[in-house]
Amino acid sequence: MVSEKSHLGNQQEPVQEEPKTYLLSMTARRGPRSLPPIPSTSRTGFAEFSMRGRMREKLQAARSKAESALLQEMPTPRPRRLRSPSKKELETEFGTEPGKKVESTQQEIDSQSHSRVKFRDSARKIKPKPQVPPGFPSAEEAYNFFTFNFDPEPEDSEKKTKASHREGTNQEEEEGEEEEPPAQGGGKETDEEELLNGDDAEDFLLGLDHMVDDFIAVRPADYESIHDRLQMEREMLFIPSRQAVPTYKKLPENVQPRFLEDEGLYTGVRPEVSRTNQNIMENRLLVQDPERRWFGDDGRILALPNPIKPFPSRPPVETQELSIKGELETMYKKAVKYVHSSQHMIRSGDPPGNFQLDIDISGLLFTHHPCFSREHVLAAKLAQLYDQYLARHQRNKAKFLTDKLQALRNAVQTGLDSEKPHQSPDTIQKTINDYKSEIRQTRKLRDAEQEKDRTLLKTIIKVWKEMKSLREFQRFTNTPLKLVLRKEKVDQKADEEAYEAEIQVEISELLEEHTEEYAQKMEEYRTSLQQWKAWRKAQKAKKKKRKQAAEEHPYDETEEPYPEEDLVKPIPPEPTDRAVIEQEVRERATQSRRRPGEPMLVPELSLAGSITPNNQCPRAEVLRREDVKKRSLYLKVLFNNKEVSRTVTRPLGADFRVHFGQIFNLQIVNWPESLALQVYETIGHSGPTLLAEVFLPIPETTVFTGRAPIEEMEFSSNQHVTLDHEGVGSGVPFSFEADGSNQLILMTSGKVSHSVAWAIGENGIPLIPPLSQQNIGFRSALKRADAISSIGTSGLTDMKKLAKWAAESKLDPNDPNNAPLMQLISVATSGESYVPDFFRLEQLQQEFNFVSDQELNRSKRFRLLLLRSQEVPEFRNYKQIPVYDREIMEKVFQDYEKRLRDRNVIETKEHIDTHRAIVAKYLQQVRESVINRFLIAKQYFLLADMIVEEEVPNISILGLSLFKLAEQKRPLRPRRKGRKKVTAQNLSDGDIKLLVNIVRAYDIPVRKPAVSKFQQPSRSSRMFSEKHAASPSTHSPNHNADYPLGQVLVRPFVEVSFQRTVCHTTTAEGPNPSWNEELELPFRAPNGDYSTASLQSVKDVVFINIFDEVLHDVLEDDRERGSGIHTRIERHWLGCVKIPFSTIYFQARIDGTFKIDIPPVLLGYSKERNMILERGFDSVRNLSEGSYITLFITIEPQLVPGESVQEKFESQEDEKLLQASEKFQAECAFKFPNRQCLTTVIDINGKTVFITRYLKPLNPPEELLSVYPNNLQATAELVARYVSLIPFLPDTVSFAGICDLWSTSDQFLDLLAGDEEEHAVLLCNYFLSLGKKAWLVMGNAIPEGPTAYVLTWEQGHYLIWNPCSGHFYGQFDTFCPLKNVGCLIGPDNIWFNIQRYDSPLRINFDVTKPKLWKSFFSRSLPYPGLSSVQPEELIYQRSDKAAAAELQDRLEKILKEKIMDWRPRHLTRWNRYCTSTLRHFLPLLEKSQGDDVEDDHRAELLKQLGDYRFSGFPLHMPYSEVKPLIDAVYSTGVHNIDVPNVEFALAVYIHPYPKNVLSVWIYVASLIRNR
Amino acid sequence: MTTASPSVFLLMVNGQVESAQFPEYDDLYCKYCFVYGQDWAPTAGLEEGISQITSKSQDVRQALVWNFPIDVTFKSTNPYGWPQIVLSVYGPDVFGNDVVRGYGAVHVPFSPGRHKRTIPMFVPESTSKLQKFTSWFMGRRPEYTDPKVVAQGEGREGAVFSIHGLTPPRPLASVRIKET
Repeated sequence: MVSEKSHLGNQQEPVQEEPKTYLLSMTARRGPRSLPPIPSTSRTGFAEFSMRGRMREKLQAARSKAESALLQEMPTPRPRRLRSPSKKELETEFGTEPGKKVESTQQEIDSQSHSRVKFRDSARKIKPKPQVPPGFPSAEEAYNFFTFNFDPEPEDSEKKTKASHREGTNQEEEEGEEEEPPAQGGGKETDEEELLNGDDAEDFLLGLDHMVDDFIAVRPADYESIHDRLQMEREMLFIPSRQAVPTYKKLPENVQPRFLEDEGLYTGVRPEVSRTNQNIMENRLLVQDPERRWFGDDGRILALPNPIKPFPSRPPVETQELSIKGELETMYKKAVKYVHSSQHMIRSGDPPGNFQLDIDISGLLFTHHPCFSREHVLAAKLAQLYDQYLARHQRNKAKFLTDKLQALRNAVQTGLDSEKPHQSPDTIQKTINDYKSEIRQTRKLRDAEQEKDRTLLKTIIKVWKEMKSLREFQRFTNTPLKLVLRKEKVDQKADEEAYEAEIQVEISELLEEHTEEYAQKMEEYRTSLQQWKAWRKAQKAKKKKRKQAAEEHPYDETEEPYPEEDLVKPIPPEPTDRAVIEQEVRERATQSRRRPGEPMLVPELSLAGSITPNNQCPRAEVLRREDVKKRSLYLKVLFNNKEVSRTVTRPLGADFRVHFGQIFNLQIVNWPESLALQVYETIGHSGPTLLAEVFLPIPETTVFTGRAPIEEMEFSSNQHVTLDHEGVGSGVPFSFEADGSNQLILMTSGKVSHSVAWAIGENGIPLIPPLSQQNIGFRSALKRADAISSIGTSGLTDMKKLAKWAAESKLDPNDPNNAPLMQLISVATSGESYVPDFFRLEQLQQEFNFVSDQELNRSKRFRLLLLRSQEVPEFRNYKQIPVYDREIMEKVFQDYEKRLRDRNVIETKEHIDTHRAIVAKYLQQVRESVINRFLIAKQYFLLADMIVEEEVPNISILGLSLFKLAEQKRPLRPRRKGRKKVTAQNLSDGDIKLLVNIVRAYDIPVRKPAVSKFQQPSRSSRMFSEKHAASPSTHSPNHNADYPLGQVLVRPFVEVSFQRTVCHTTTAEGPNPSWNEELELPFRAPNGDYSTASLQSVKDVVFINIFDEVLHDVLEDDRERGSGIHTRIERHWLGCVKIPFSTIYFQARIDGTFKIDIPPVLLGYSKERNMILERGFDSVRNLSEGSYITLFITIEPQLVPGESVQEKFESQEDEKLLQASEKFQAECAFKFPNRQCLTTVIDINGKTVFITRYLKPLNPPEELLSVYPNNLQATAELVARYVSLIPFLPDTVSFAGICDLWSTSDQFLDLLAGDEEEHAVLLCNYFLSLGKKAWLVMGNAIPEGPTAYVLTWEQGHYLIWNPCSGHFYGQFDTFCPLKNVGCLIGPDNIWFNIQRYDSPLRINFDVTKPKLWKSFFSRSLPYPGLSSVQPEELIYQRSDKAAAAELQDRLEKILKEKIMDWRPRHLTRWNRYCTSTLRHFLPLLEKSQGDDVEDDHRAELLKQLGDYRFSGFPLHMPYSEVKPLIDAVYSTGVHNIDVPNVEFALAVYIHPYPKNVLSVWIYVASLIRNR
Repeated sequence: MTTASPSVFLLMVNGQVESAQFPEYDDLYCKYCFVYGQDWAPTAGLEEGISQITSKSQDVRQALVWNFPIDVTFKSTNPYGWPQIVLSVYGPDVFGNDVVRGYGAVHVPFSPGRHKRTIPMFVPESTSKLQKFTSWFMGRRPEYTDPKVVAQGEGREGAVFSIHGLTPPRPLASVRIKET
């Protein structure tokens, strides 16, 4: 269709050409006629109401009508062509008439464009016509609309011109009316308008424009005359005047201004505002706010007191850089060792508390010194005067009194003026009188003050003049003092007026006073006159009566009236004496006051003057100066009359000042009795002379460091010094005058500036001795009133006195500054005991406490919650704390309370032995304190703990990964890949497994063929089958014959038990079995807590037991042999290997060959020594005899062992040494990162100690030395055995993996527990004292991991000692558990292994070779001679044999009970005879240390227990607690025999060694009677 | 330890993880779990769940709608340790590796009724630019060892203090949970 249309358009183009141009011109002409928008909008747009708008609307409506008509019309040609015009007619909304018109025009058009339409018709006929909703153009119509070409019509154009013409006339109303028909006509005009749709919008706008300018009215511009404007402005604007506002305006009607200050109320000082500004503001406020809210009672604007302080409260900071540097200089001090090294140690007592008094001596200033020159004397005087002046000026008493006077006068005035109805005239009179008397007093005071001020000023000036003249006279200056008098101009006239007014007021007051006085006197006079008259009358009457006594009476009479006469006399002159008074007043005023108009003089003293340099001075002066330079001073601090410290010696400055700036911290125990400073002076090289002593007051308990002000204490000495130079000396007369008159005697004097205060401890508690220590009664009573004395009056003595003083000094009680004092006084006078002057910091705390403290303590639930949040071990993982108290059982707390109770009580139930109980307690306490110390550090998370992040690939990793790309997919030699490590955070029960791979064993003891007596007939039948074999010989030749070749020597299997889970391998055969089996044991952490700390403290041990499986034929009747097999399996314990879980945890895997711990006597078994000939190490064979087992143990998944906290610990060591050790370690770690290098370790107090301090020869117990006095080697073995008998307790267990603590040997022996280091240190120290060359070897061993061994140099070879087992190995022993060596430590040096290999087999132990061993102390850093931390010698108590015996009995009993417990289903019989035999045997074993007793023992046993089948063995252990012994017995499985007639024997022997080291032997045996 | 029926109170949580706004990412799934104190124990329902993978809606909101139901009941004796829902959102990165897109946590509402919560989500940042690049390249972004740490204060506090370069978590988007 589209192509057709385009085709059509193309065809018509040539025809269209001409009409198009015509059409364009038409549009231009038609423009003004506005074009209606689309019909829908045109019908809704009648909202405008203006006439014009309405007209336009109408016009538009008409047009749109026409438009819509057109639109409707559009399809009409088509229907007509389809011959259905009638239908279309109905659709149009127009009347029939227009419709016809349209039709007619349509026909016209049709006829004109006939040819084209026809063409289109043909096309239209092909297409079916789509249904179009009415009112919408169909697609075809739209097409027509855009493409139809209309032929121009002459009529049409005419109409257009007409229309445009009409519109131009601007006739609105008629135009609209008339417009309609033509518009309709236009509507009928075919499609022309449609074509111009786009342009019409423009036309519409144009039309509008046209109409707008018709409505603009043009008027002349407004003008306001300047007069009007001013008038208006006057109405609008307000300019406040600067005139003062009369008071009545500011106050409400008929109210007199009231002056609060005059009434005695405190008002404070108003801030300064200039008068004009105040006036402006007042005027403004009056206009704005007619209610006068802004004005106070006194008619002034309300104002707060001036907030600005008269002097700065911040301490002045000197701006000079130098001084700042000096003040900020940091001083480094080495920490002082604290006295109480271990507060938990059982021995240490609690020291008395220390208190501290800080004495700060900042400096010294001489007010006179023998070396003062005359000028100095004057300068000192001047300075003193000036200080006085400043002080007076600061107080400004005169001003204060003047003000007060003024206020009082005002008050009197108001009091007289205002008639206050509510006050009786009496009271008024009374107050006025009061006022007046006060005025009098105040005036006097003021006058005195003013006079003082004036004289002071005069003296200052006089001294300054003297000084100036002196300087002129001697032609040099010594002091930088310079006085400047500043004149302050005053307004002459005002001043005079004020002066005059003041005088007048004073005169009138005086006059009044005098009249008052006069009146009073008159009154007196009158009364007295009256009296006199009365008396006279009486006298006269008497006279008449008594004439004898007339002689005396006249005398009396003359005497009597005399005073009255006298009184009468002065009456008349007084009141009239105004001139006299005035005279007096004026005189006084001139004397004491500044004359009016005289400028105010303000002296200013500065140090701006320059001192004449030495070379310009005369000789005498130079000598004086030299002398001053020679002198130096220091102060001694005396506490309770004992010298405790002294200051540094400082030279005397040219200005006679000495600066010390030292603070002395006096650590005191008691309340000080006296504190004094002694001033010492040294001249040149002579000895010091005591100048003076200054006693310091002991500070109040409220004066603390930091708050104490610097005070100046004056001192003087009565020393007489005469000098031969300019110095005036001391105590000798001298004079300023030339003639020597007016002599002065000055003594050496000065001031010490200091402060004394109590120090404040670390926790904020002041270090003041307790009040009880203050033995002086009244003082301590005062001190107790702490809160009150802190108010600020440090010289507080008596409350009453204070109140009196306050009353006298007329403190303004309303001044807020005085509030605390006033409160205090009111409290003191009212007799109330104590009103606290403090505020509570959290006064609302009470409100927020949801429960009272008592209730909190009482409630079990709260207690439980509290304990849990404190992480008390018993409650750390407590789940679901019940809601109600009643649901919590009492017993929940029982354990905890018991523990708390027992903390200090030492109970012996569990430990049997008291000493060990104490030690256990102590260990527990140390552990707690250490844990507390590291509690914060433990909650330290690393990024790796929280976030899994790939590491930054470095170049090697990148390279490797590149290589990996080229790698073979399945390499021929696969490498082991590292396992993924698991952090212990998100683990739960059952996740962790212990894998034990048992590979093989060597040299398992083999069964010894039973001697004939033992053998049962049934069993021997097999055994005898092959008798004659080349069996290897054992020690006893009689066995040879019995030994069968093909006989199974032993059938060992391995049983691994861990946390009571037991697994065992299959049974192998022969003394060198190979199992190669993997056993899997589950691991369960205590309390389900899999945190690192918890895992580290797991104390469980993996027991690897080797058993021999023995088959016993139990067939009793030989006849049944053919038909059935009845055997019993018995297992015989051969030995065990114990590996603590902590070792596995820290090592991640344990791989190696371990020596099996085989009991010294294993009845029925023997080592086949000759069988191991092929090993070939003949030389070492004897040393390493024993059985071995190869194991591989690991944890699945691999756990990340907890990092020990790498913190810097405090240290007593020299800083240099610490740095050197750090450097050394860093260097070593750089070269051989895997080799252990230790230089410093942490002692039990958590302090870093240099390691060599631990090594020092220490005496072993005498007892051990005396056993083999001549055999050094045997003694060494004995000593090693002794050390190995001290129980082993790894630090990780006791201190939860925090760090490795090293205890000294005496601590170790006190604790009787320790790990490898302690054992090794002790052993090494013993060896050193035995005279051996011994070193500590730090290295790795199996199974311990990083550990410490001891290396000794025997004649020609080295021996390596395992301190924990007491075994020793030759250097070339393959079975030595020490696998590599990191460093050697001697008592005075450390050597780090820098050889290529670190296996003891392959290295050279000669430490003198610097190429092989890198030494710590060398020529560059010589050994500084470090003192040892070890004690001088070890003191051994002899062990208590009785206690050991008791322990032995108890142990035996406990073990027997245990064995019976383990056999709940069977009867356990004890063979007493056997037990006693064993008991006799055990001491022998101890004596021989388990060697070479087997045969004798066997023989003896055979003799005694001939008819028993016996299996049993002695166990040997160091004694620590009962539990390990029980475990050991349990692990042997002796109790597992369930033969019905079995009997048991158990014997315990404890051999006590010195220092309570106990060696325990347990012999367990089972016996089966042979029948 | 306690009597036969210790008193507890129950907290029933019904709701759903409705939708998320992750303007930068698409095709995400989410995992929820609960973190609660020692005195709490779940009695019924699922403590953890992983949702389906959802794509962004095509409209303007561009929401990732899961409508993943949560239904769990806790019993407890103490409001302390009130349960928190921890959400972690995962999705593929440019290379198709599954990486974490956000962590977030919110307490289960304290009052009964319908609640709607919008949780800001964040991810830990790499500690350095280089690591950021490599982690992007290798598709192994830093992740929490356990998403539960976002509901616990202690670990993060430790991390902030001890780790240099762990920038504060970057809020990326929000997940909406509706509870009834």
